[in-house]
Amino acid sequence: MSFTSLTFLAFLAGLIVLYYILPRKCQWALLLAASCAFYLCGGAKTIGYLAFTALTTYTAGRRLGVLNTRWKALDAQEKKTRKRAHDRRRKGVVWLVCLLNFGVLFALKYWAFLAEALLRRTGLHIFAPELLMPVGVSFYTFQSIGYVVDCYRGKVQPQKNFAKYALFVSFFPQIVQGPIGRYDALAPQLLAEHELDWENIRGGLQLALWGYFKKLLLAERTAALVNTVFASPETYGGAVLVLGVFGYCVQLYCDFSGGIDISRGTAQMLGITMAENFQRPIFARSLTEYWRRWHISLGSWMRDYVFYPLALSRPFRALGSFARKHFRGMLSKIFATSMATFVVYFIIGVWHGANFRYLAFGLYNGVLITAALLLEPLFVRVREKLPLCWDGWLWRGVQMLRTGAIVFIGRYITRAPRLTTALSMLRRSVTDFSLSQLRGGALFSLGMTKADWLVVLAGLFVLLAVEMYQERGGGARALLARQKPAVQGFVTLAWLAALLLGALGGYTGAGFIYAQY
Amino acid sequence: MEQLLDILQQTCPGIDFTASDHLIDDGIIDSLDLVTLVTVLMDEYDVEISVDDLVPENFNSVQAIYDLIERAKS
Amino acid sequence: MKAKSWVVMCLLLALALVLAVAALNFFVDPFGVFGQNVWYSYAETLNPRVGKTAYLMEHADEYDSYLVGCSSTSSYPVEELNEYLDAKFYNTIVYGADMQDTRLTVEWLLKNCTVKNIVLNVYIDNGLTWATGEDSLSYKLHEAVSGAGKVGFYGGYLLASPQYALDKIKAQQDDLVLPQSYNVFDEQTGAYDKRARDVENIGSLERYYESYPVFTNYPQGPSQLGYTDACMQDVAAIAALCRDAGVQLYVVCAPVYRDYFEGYSAEAITDFYTKLAAVTDYWDFSYSSVSCDARYFYDATHFRNDVGRMALARMFGDDSVYIPDDLGVYVTRENAEAHAQTLCAHEAAADTAAYTKDLPVLMYHDLLAEDDGTGAMTAEIFDEQMQALQSAGYTTVSLDEVYDYVYHGAELPEKPILITFDDGYRSNYELAYPILQKYGMKAAMFVIGVSVGKDTYKDTGVSITPHFSYEQAREMIASGLITIGSHTYDLHQSPQLDDAPVRETAGILPGESQADYAVVFSDDLAQSMQTIFAETGQPVTALAYPEGVYTTLSQVLCREAGLLATFSSDAHSNTLVRGLAQCLYAMGRYSVTPCSGAELIALLDGAE
Repeated sequence: MSFTSLTFLAFLAGLIVLYYILPRKCQWALLLAASCAFYLCGGAKTIGYLAFTALTTYTAGRRLGVLNTRWKALDAQEKKTRKRAHDRRRKGVVWLVCLLNFGVLFALKYWAFLAEALLRRTGLHIFAPELLMPVGVSFYTFQSIGYVVDCYRGKVQPQKNFAKYALFVSFFPQIVQGPIGRYDALAPQLLAEHELDWENIRGGLQLALWGYFKKLLLAERTAALVNTVFASPETYGGAVLVLGVFGYCVQLYCDFSGGIDISRGTAQMLGITMAENFQRPIFARSLTEYWRRWHISLGSWMRDYVFYPLALSRPFRALGSFARKHFRGMLSKIFATSMATFVVYFIIGVWHGANFRYLAFGLYNGVLITAALLLEPLFVRVREKLPLCWDGWLWRGVQMLRTGAIVFIGRYITRAPRLTTALSMLRRSVTDFSLSQLRGGALFSLGMTKADWLVVLAGLFVLLAVEMYQERGGGARALLARQKPAVQGFVTLAWLAALLLGALGGYTGAGFIYAQY
Repeated sequence: MEQLLDILQQTCPGIDFTASDHLIDDGIIDSLDLVTLVTVLMDEYDVEISVDDLVPENFNSVQAIYDLIERAKS
Repeated sequence: MKAKSWVVMCLLLALALVLAVAALNFFVDPFGVFGQNVWYSYAETLNPRVGKTAYLMEHADEYDSYLVGCSSTSSYPVEELNEYLDAKFYNTIVYGADMQDTRLTVEWLLKNCTVKNIVLNVYIDNGLTWATGEDSLSYKLHEAVSGAGKVGFYGGYLLASPQYALDKIKAQQDDLVLPQSYNVFDEQTGAYDKRARDVENIGSLERYYESYPVFTNYPQGPSQLGYTDACMQDVAAIAALCRDAGVQLYVVCAPVYRDYFEGYSAEAITDFYTKLAAVTDYWDFSYSSVSCDARYFYDATHFRNDVGRMALARMFGDDSVYIPDDLGVYVTRENAEAHAQTLCAHEAAADTAAYTKDLPVLMYHDLLAEDDGTGAMTAEIFDEQMQALQSAGYTTVSLDEVYDYVYHGAELPEKPILITFDDGYRSNYELAYPILQKYGMKAAMFVIGVSVGKDTYKDTGVSITPHFSYEQAREMIASGLITIGSHTYDLHQSPQLDDAPVRETAGILPGESQADYAVVFSDDLAQSMQTIFAETGQPVTALAYPEGVYTTLSQVLCREAGLLATFSSDAHSNTLVRGLAQCLYAMGRYSVTPCSGAELIALLDGAE
């Protein structure tokens, strides 16, 4: 059930009405039923995977709970003698459940890839069933593993009721693409009783409509441009390639953050606040800041459950000590940290998909971030020497542009079909760049009509204006609420009309199909 | 405190640790700096800081970091 | 504004907007599903499956027989079928139809309409795709045919992008006669409206390739047919349905362009044509000498209406129509194997000499009795030129002989040439006619209606070069040498002597709408044809355009008025192609200067 389908709207409307009519006690059960229905609509055949993850992580949580309870009951003396055994058991549970779930994830993503590679290299056939990708497999896996680790760390009390836990794993607004929720933040809200609050309905509805705006008007149109350009990048000049990659940046951000807005808006209408996932990444002033603003829930998950444990693990600490003794300058301090960073980006790359270009993308980010750390002392000195306004709007703008350019180049790598294609596209974007490549109707032969371009330009303008307002600390929804009713009505009407025009798709133009005859 | 501030400043020359009482919340210290700091501190003071301690409250100010180390020592 | 009020307002506004779009789609009805603002040709172009079903729901009583199949089905002209079978045919062609679509269409027809005959066209592509189940607004079947729910169907069209409705409103403002990209179907017959392409001048193959480069570089298609079995199951189902309903079924296989046909593997072809024979007998026109000549095709996948005419003539034994010997084989179970082998051998070839002929046309105007020093054409030079033609082996032909060659396959002399005179000057009668008589040569003379027999311009009293009279025309016709044609009735006006708007040629005036122009041209043409026929007793079959100026629309109107040939002043020779009527439209002519006979021969020999 796609967020942009009529079925979803009907489903949501029905759910919200029921949610506030039924006795408050039944709310969480209704959410669970709705989540199951939602999942069955999208991937009935793969619900087994979801059930598997829910069951294993639930059991692991329970087991860790029991272990922790037992541990607490011990006196100090016993604790000392049995600490090792206790730690080993707890770790065993975590490792086992990680192995099981990430094993499934890995198999789903890589089995076919590996089988094919093996066949090509050695001619060896191995069994490679065509696996259906379960909807949202990465997101619910990450979320559930996060829960297990939280149980391990004693940060949360394990959930005893499986149905309640299943709701945490399968909550429908987040199941498809996140945001990855934390048990301590999300579960209490899911299980709480919610009174009808019109502020929530309005806020959620507006957030969702904003998401639809980004998805329907901007992402879907630019997708046509991106698909055209990337279908045969070798046939286009540099200017078209740059435009195509720019379109991809817009598409990616609007599709992803738009979807998240719909998710969060939906949840808000149900009285539930979900984690933020985007914080206007376009305003980031450095690459690290960009990744703090982009796909936040994944970034913070990686930080808390991979990066920190890794960087503070024995081998990395030893590596750090070694570096401090044997290297000089900045490198000695950050060596271990940057190694850990590489590992994290490597994992993110591997997770994205079975292709070298994702690994290259991870490497690209890791190298730049490390380089920034290494050059930091130099930069500090420059700042001290040059009496410039280092916090003025101009310098901030330069930083944003610089960050934007770095991210922009990275997008070549993630979207091109192959790494070599990405590199040749990059090269030609510079060497073969001429604005004349866009003239003479070329602009309108790239999958977007003149009307589409106008819509996208106007949409980007609105998007940028709203984000700039938000960046300065303003709330766009609050701003709207302060206006006179007539203004509110007009804005709402324009907003809905734009959405409707964007949503009523399938327009192929009169006589378009016939063009071949 | 003085010694601590020195270590901090040396480790992360780009950060003004006295600028805020919300170093983490304001994004002045990011996770990379944090990890680098913690590993250095663990070496310098010979203490154990675990992942569970890596929460904003413990690193929002120099005082908080100082308190954390004191706690870890005992 | 309170939160609750905003939410309520938002929902109400959304509802209002949705209703507004629905109302727009309902009343403008671009897809023609609500029976409003009816414009079937437009609706059928957007979605022929839906548009044609909607049309038949209202008009089925006007027909009793149907053509069914994919887009190449369009080219079997219903006029001929109606004549051969004494029926009223409607062509249900839809683009990209697979055999499942076609079967569903037949089922619907048999259930909802009176049906005497069904002509099922099978194209080789029907083995390529099957049951694609397209659900887009432009491709889906009408719910009455597919059986899909009414709510989803009509709901989908109610909530279609308003752009469709706006496009239709805009198109409705256009004052056009010829089909545009948005109304490609002929409402009455259901076939593609190919009027414009059926009058385009076709000449040499080189010139055709230049206009339609797709033929020279035909894209490599697939070589296998994945859905032959599924397709044949549906053909069998259609045959069974017709048998049960007592409906006469004719199955035909459409002509396929050579480069496309030969892309398929021998197994695929054998499989397709033998399996078809296993479920029904059929006429196969797939592959013949016609397949090898691009001029018989509109584009690489659609043969011309004229070819459809030949195919129908073969099926119904009409000897009056020219048909290439190898076009059309009746295939049954017995000869299917052998026939498939013939197909796979790819032996068909285009022997162009057998069905094309070069025909230069000469254009003369006034002749002078004596040389007046202006360098104009004189009787003496004309005589010398005629003599030179004869000695060079040229034989003058009449228009009728040309028609017989193209339409009926009659022979022409080895070096045919056509002589024409424009304007109908008296010198044509007094000077040229005797010379033609002397050599026994034929010619066509094109007269301007208003100036026949006149030596003054209309009612102005201004004297002009004298024109021959109808009496003189009758005398020349009686000789059997001269054909009289039209040079329009009054579309060769003089800017000095006529009131505005002056029509110096039969072209469209600047800013004139197609519809207005069509009326002016048609009225003039009708008047010209009626007058000449009334005065000479000879029907008018040809028109020479004043100044050689013509438009696609004027060409179409000429053909609809029954003219068989039109002449431009484009300086090129003509290639007559048997079976292709449009090689006679906008024929090129050489304007003859007062040169020597030898020079004229050199010009003709040097040309095309």
